Amino acid sequence: MNAFLSKIKHFFVNVLGDERWQGIAIPVFSILCSLIAISAIILMLGKNPLDAFTSLLAGSGWLPKASYSGGKSMLTDFMGMLDAFTPMLFAALAVTIALRSGLFNIGVSGQMLIAGFAATMLVGYSDLPAIIARPLVLLIGMIAGALAGLLIGWLKHQFNIHEVVSSIMLNNIFAYVISFFIKTRYIDPITRHSKGITAAARLEIAPLQIGDSITAFPIGLPIALLCAIGIWFLLFKTTWGLELTAVGMNAKAAKYTGIKVGRTMMLAMTISGALAGLAGATYYLGFLKSINPGELTAVGFDSIAVSLLGNIHPLGVILSSLLITTMTRGSVYMSSTVGVRQEITSLIIGMVLLFSACGGFIKMWVDRTRQAEEDLSKSADDAGDDTPSPAQIARDPALWNMSGGETL
Amino acid sequence: MSTLNLIIIDGLSFALPLLIIAIGGIYSERSGVVNLALEGLLGFGAFAGGLFVAATAGFFASTSNAPMYISFLVAALGGALFATLHAVLCIKFMANQVISGVVVNIVSVALTGFLTSTINATFFGNPSVKFMLRTSPRWTIPYLSDIPLLGAVFTNFYPFEVIIIAVALFAWYLLYRTRFGMHIRAAGDNPQALESAGINVSRVRFIAVLISGALSGIGGMAFAYSISTNFSPAIYFGSGFLAIAALIVGNWKIIPTFAACMVFGLARSGAYALVLGLNADASVIDLAMIAPYVITLLLLVFFGKSNQAPRALGELYDKSKR
Repeated sequence: MNAFLSKIKHFFVNVLGDERWQGIAIPVFSILCSLIAISAIILMLGKNPLDAFTSLLAGSGWLPKASYSGGKSMLTDFMGMLDAFTPMLFAALAVTIALRSGLFNIGVSGQMLIAGFAATMLVGYSDLPAIIARPLVLLIGMIAGALAGLLIGWLKHQFNIHEVVSSIMLNNIFAYVISFFIKTRYIDPITRHSKGITAAARLEIAPLQIGDSITAFPIGLPIALLCAIGIWFLLFKTTWGLELTAVGMNAKAAKYTGIKVGRTMMLAMTISGALAGLAGATYYLGFLKSINPGELTAVGFDSIAVSLLGNIHPLGVILSSLLITTMTRGSVYMSSTVGVRQEITSLIIGMVLLFSACGGFIKMWVDRTRQAEEDLSKSADDAGDDTPSPAQIARDPALWNMSGGETL
Repeated sequence: MSTLNLIIIDGLSFALPLLIIAIGGIYSERSGVVNLALEGLLGFGAFAGGLFVAATAGFFASTSNAPMYISFLVAALGGALFATLHAVLCIKFMANQVISGVVVNIVSVALTGFLTSTINATFFGNPSVKFMLRTSPRWTIPYLSDIPLLGAVFTNFYPFEVIIIAVALFAWYLLYRTRFGMHIRAAGDNPQALESAGINVSRVRFIAVLISGALSGIGGMAFAYSISTNFSPAIYFGSGFLAIAALIVGNWKIIPTFAACMVFGLARSGAYALVLGLNADASVIDLAMIAPYVITLLLLVFFGKSNQAPRALGELYDKSKR
């Protein structure tokens, strides 16, 4: 029995220990662990977990459903999923660049809201043609978000106000003020949301007929993907990106090397806000097409989780956004076909995050065990060193907390 | 009853739950563990208390207040139980404390939502996301309540306000006047020195995080009684984050944090009263409600510079570090 266990241990250590693949292997391992945990829960409820997972995929357009109503198809569902995916990716990128510079942007929801409101108010009810209105919506959203981000960065730099506190205060202030303006000026008396925006201002190409199905193409999608590549280039291929990461890992050390810490943080927060603004524009003028007064969207908070799951890497968050959006979009269909309550989806997401939060521990455990195995097999004279090298730390955000860094 | 009295009465009933949550945050953060999980902890505590009330509804007379008092105890236990998650992630699994806090919040919202609807559907036959509570009584102390202005403090208050003040006083005593409290504060300022004095730093931090869960649970239960008379996902309205703001304004000390919570509570009830008093349109209340948030930001602008967080806050404890 013991030999069997140590074989299993050896297997995991081998699979997870390869440094080239650790960035992917550990999140995948966390996802698998959480799927197993959730399967156990679904089994306890007396349902088939496999059915639940396939209906999740069918609900979001990855697999065909049993039947479709007129004009709808797998493609419609898939496009609908991509429509929700676009703001999620923008928001996760916003969290990512802030986290890389050591800042925790918990105010993405508020920045999204003010961007969506500014674009709705200035362009959504105007009679501009689509060719001008749509770029303008994106631009206004981006600027509104960037200003909100800049404000948070400035408050931190100038007055030492922690970004978590200031962004939570601003979230609430934005939500109340915007709720006031919508309720007094832009309310639709029937839906109790803001009035519908003109078709020209909507960030989608619709109706789009492909084969028999009528669908819509989210205009923000290619821009979001380009942004992900752009942020990757900025972070890993430019000097400024290196400075930003240096500030994120150890602000004091960065200061002594001559990096202007305050300016770097403010700029990072501005870019983060701009991305959140784009998320807001694509969410409120693309996905929802209206604003519910007084409500901060959950996208902004989920994006924190998505960014962490994606290893705080601009390309990793493409995958994690896709995964989380697939789950949330598929949950309605799952609860109607399998009879598992819709709330279980957020529980799955919570579990995935729970396991991925332990990523640093899994990594350390794997590295230590592998080291111990190597020490046993090799001669004893090359003793192991548990401390990760600076290069290792730079590559792996899970190790950042080991070097101290920014705290609340 | 004068408007001023109403402002004080409503202000206190919001400020005191906020205070006990903030004190929970102080315990955790003074021991060196960043606690963004307060929101999740108070929600889970209120869930546990609400479940207790719903499950034992048949055992108590319909006029009895016993379930209410016991529910605060259960909420404290529930909060502490859920805080174990944050403690294990931060201390045993060495997760990043900020990340762990966010994850604990998300899990709390998901888990309580799922459990409430599942339990309601399975045991009580209605798939609602709420546990109904009984209306809390409100007390007035004769004579004391007749004192001008100050009398408002003794008028029409919730019994939980007494519980919170008692717990808060004890928490203050424990943190500043006992050996254990000193260990907590040392764990957040200089854990290596504490360890060399023969104290297990991880254990001290673990207990501090559990205490923060218990105190948050009490606060969550109080909000469940005062704001909505039920447990529902609406309990997650951001009071945990407000408590964090309050404790930072209060410089991680209990008495200044109390002042910050009072300013916040009074600004909130004052804004309400102002809108009501002006007979203004109901939508203006949205504008008035930004008052507490703006005031908190302004307080931070003026006092934030001199703030000093516990020195080892957020650092993973590493025995071998000098």
